Amino acid sequence: MARLENLTEPMRSHIADLPCPQFDHTPWVNVPELANQRIAIISTAGLHRRGDRPFGGMDGDFRVIDGTSKAEDLVMTHISTNFDRTGFQQDWNVVFPIDRLRQLADENRIGSVADFHYSFMGAADPSKMAPSAENLAGLLKGDNVDAAVLIPV
Amino acid sequence: MGALAHYLEAKGIATTQISLIRVHTEKIHPPRALWVPFDLGRPLGVPDDPSFQKKVLVSALELLNARSGPVLVDFSEEAPVGADDSDAAQAAWSCPISFSAPEQAETDLEKQVSALRREMTELMPWYDKRRKEQSRTALANFEPDAAAGLLCDYLLDQSPEPGDSEMTLAVAIRLAVQDLKTFYYEAASHQPGTTPPTSREFARWFWTQTAAGHLIRSVSEKCKTEPDKTLQMTGKAFLVPMGW
Repeated sequence: MARLENLTEPMRSHIADLPCPQFDHTPWVNVPELANQRIAIISTAGLHRRGDRPFGGMDGDFRVIDGTSKAEDLVMTHISTNFDRTGFQQDWNVVFPIDRLRQLADENRIGSVADFHYSFMGAADPSKMAPSAENLAGLLKGDNVDAAVLIPV
Repeated sequence: MGALAHYLEAKGIATTQISLIRVHTEKIHPPRALWVPFDLGRPLGVPDDPSFQKKVLVSALELLNARSGPVLVDFSEEAPVGADDSDAAQAAWSCPISFSAPEQAETDLEKQVSALRREMTELMPWYDKRRKEQSRTALANFEPDAAAGLLCDYLLDQSPEPGDSEMTLAVAIRLAVQDLKTFYYEAASHQPGTTPPTSREFARWFWTQTAAGHLIRSVSEKCKTEPDKTLQMTGKAFLVPMGW
């Protein structure tokens, strides 16, 4: 389990000592009721469509995942070897819960599912993700997205 | 992950997130976060359990109803433990294939390459069977033979070709290692009479009992000796998991 105390060394110390960015405030956007929100998934699992550029380093860039993608279209090229991949190999929803999100839309618990979703490679320096994230915010607004659910790996 | 939420929210997109490492989320203070006690690599808990996955996702999405933040909530349930996750089952799981013994009169590296080829030959029927029955494979860049070929060529100094002019050798080696592991998982978990191994059991088997694991360690060691710094870093950090 991902309780820090349950990880074995040297993984525990590696995780605990990873530098985290510090911010002097937490930004906040108010949104409509969940049942009226349009939701996009943003993963940091290094996911992309098969044939798209694999994640090659720590650039902080992202890949676009068309909402029509099927499970067989999506692959993972995250740089780290220190997390489980067998879950994703069995069922993409354990990392990219698009089928669950669609269920929630069908049940009217959310407003709708975005046309496009996105993935970063989470081992990149967060400061290098900042410019990409700003561009991504524009893309999400263009898709009329109200909120993004961010899924780590 | 928390920083990404910060950047997006600052640009007008509301965010909620799953957190796997609580101490990181406590330091970054993203707007809304649901901490879950699941394995790294499994943010929704478990594969093939839509009900549980939906419960996790709804818990994260419902944080969007908060009127002020930051919000950090703990998910109240552990991931379900399937029958094959029990300690007894994990201890009992082993690949039904008993791999052939190495040939004589080969150098150590040649023996490693031969052993890998024999293993792959013995696993390939189950991989092929799976590909016929399921449309999905998690292989990302290399077919199994191409992945093995690249790693063996590199190990034997036989001009490894990444196969993509834009791909560096370091990236190609990392992706080939991932795809080789994926091939082993998909083949070994599709043999008759076996259930898919848990992540820990697969790692134990792959890294301690297979020629593939042994060969990847050799590739890792060779990378560490290269003058190219990206190959050095690949060998140090990106091929063999910590603790194995």
